Amino acid sequence: MTDTPLISLVDVTKTYHLESGDFTALDHVSLDILENDFVAIMGPSGSGKSTMMNQLGILDVPTTGTLSISGRNVATMTNQERTHLRRDAIGYIFQKFYLIPLLSAYENVEYPLILKYKKRDTTGRASALLDAVGIGKEMGAHRPNQLSGGQQQRVAIARALVNDPKILLCDEPTGNLDRKTGFQIMDILCGLHKEGKTVILVTHDPKIAEYAHRTIRLEDGRIAEPS
Amino acid sequence: MSDIFFNLSVRSVRLNFLRSILASIGIVIGVVAISTMGMLGTNMQLQVKDELASSANTIVITADAVRMGPPGMGTSSSTSSSASGITKTQLNKIRTAVGSNGSVIPLYSTNTQFTSGNVPARGMIYGMDPDDVTKFLKVGNGTNIASINEALVGYTLAESLNVGVGDKITISSASSGPPSNSSSSASRATIKIVGIIDPRGTVADSVTTDNGIVVSKEWYTAQYGGKDHYTQVNVIAGDTDKITEIEDAIDAKLNTDAKTPAVRISDASSQLDTISSTLETLTMFILAIGGISLLVAAVSIFNVMMMSVNERVQEIGILLSIGTETGEVRKMFVYEALILGILGAGIGGVMSLVIGYSVVSAMMGTTAFFFLPASLIYIPEGMLVGMVVCVISGLYPAWRASNMDPIDALRSD
Repeated sequence: MTDTPLISLVDVTKTYHLESGDFTALDHVSLDILENDFVAIMGPSGSGKSTMMNQLGILDVPTTGTLSISGRNVATMTNQERTHLRRDAIGYIFQKFYLIPLLSAYENVEYPLILKYKKRDTTGRASALLDAVGIGKEMGAHRPNQLSGGQQQRVAIARALVNDPKILLCDEPTGNLDRKTGFQIMDILCGLHKEGKTVILVTHDPKIAEYAHRTIRLEDGRIAEPS
Repeated sequence: MSDIFFNLSVRSVRLNFLRSILASIGIVIGVVAISTMGMLGTNMQLQVKDELASSANTIVITADAVRMGPPGMGTSSSTSSSASGITKTQLNKIRTAVGSNGSVIPLYSTNTQFTSGNVPARGMIYGMDPDDVTKFLKVGNGTNIASINEALVGYTLAESLNVGVGDKITISSASSGPPSNSSSSASRATIKIVGIIDPRGTVADSVTTDNGIVVSKEWYTAQYGGKDHYTQVNVIAGDTDKITEIEDAIDAKLNTDAKTPAVRISDASSQLDTISSTLETLTMFILAIGGISLLVAAVSIFNVMMMSVNERVQEIGILLSIGTETGEVRKMFVYEALILGILGAGIGGVMSLVIGYSVVSAMMGTTAFFFLPASLIYIPEGMLVGMVVCVISGLYPAWRASNMDPIDALRSD
């Protein structure tokens, strides 16, 4: 771990302009996340967790303030540069898995590699990752709707890892799973953290948050209790 | 194809196969409509061109209409007719002007009455050198004229008079009483039929033999007089590209006085141009009607593509959030529209061949020109137009998909 923040939020505000008036989802938030950190972001509904995730995942840019990843201000990047950064530096794990329904489990894992290298995977990386998360070759040929929730989340983890990103962004990764499977998924994430990944976990489940090394609580768009 | 976006498009079409096929039916109908209409128009053009082609290499020279009267009328209109027509001097100038670029065929002609048994008929009688006959007429049954008392009869006239080779036909001399070397046979002369001329159809050389008769020039002048004053001179060019050159040469030799030209020179090309231009306009018109069905198909494809985009909003959100570029999402939907186009154009192409053949056969009675490249080209052209229409219809849906906000797209269920 180094002391240089991998992700830095400086006085970040995100305001949505709605018909009913402006709504500030993040209100002057400052936060540093270091490399190989394991951070849990918690908070009640409407506290700004999802907005925070969208900012950290550079799916959105701040209204004011600065968000930097590896020292680069994302607001000054072009759309294409942000797309490439999402593809190469961030692995997404969603509550609803969000696998591509038209592709097989294997193809879902292979997809980010194809985006990056513009060719099919000949290195065996996609297969190896599927094996590592406990999805065999036969299972890999199945479409997402033929897999259980736990299996789909394993495939999603393999997909998130395939381009070897520094950051794993996990949005309620156990939210749609039974308790036992949820803990299995958390064990996989802990293992990845030990291998050097920076894991950011959004959850409302204190048991799951206990896996993180530090917890950030959000309330009304502000950081309430940094730990 | 290893392109993952093409694979995704193929799978999306497969997933909604029935809907895709139904949308493609519009393209099928459009491709069939424009291909069939195009082929029909072209086949009509080709048929007319073919009919005129037999005389397309022919230049017709007549004495100038203003001073001499129209061809075919000069020799029979009055006793002063000996002064009308193309003179021997003019003929020689024409021969000089043409040189080795073509054949010069001088001929006499007039309108007269024929009788066989008690059946009368009217038509043209042509007098020419027997050696010139085979240069532009085809004797289908019998032989060419060999002696002065022999004649060739046109196909239609032979049928209407019910005569054949070996029969005799009575020809009225001019009603005004043209000069004749035999007073007893001055008004009616009988001649033996030695051959039947094949049908010529539409011709541009003013020699309409289908309902006429061809005799030797000696017999003609013996009956109607006017020796060495030809009704018209036809020049058959060896090369159609040289027609203008030959016409200019004849014009320069004969029409020395620009104000009062001695002869009128015409050819089939201007007639062909007019007919071709008319038929091309007609073809374009019926193609436009076919194009309307493609417009309807475009709306149908657009609709299906919008449905596809709306049904896959969350999938688009996933693709964009994990690092797919907007251009790649756009490409995926354009591929999908193209697949619908290929599907519709493929089926439409095969159906165009069958339906086009049937329509051309039913409307024209012949498919002689159907398999010519100029006709068949409408099938790939129609298919290409169908595919282009599909791609164009898919552009806006593709653009809409690629410009979605990934956060909003992911939230949609």
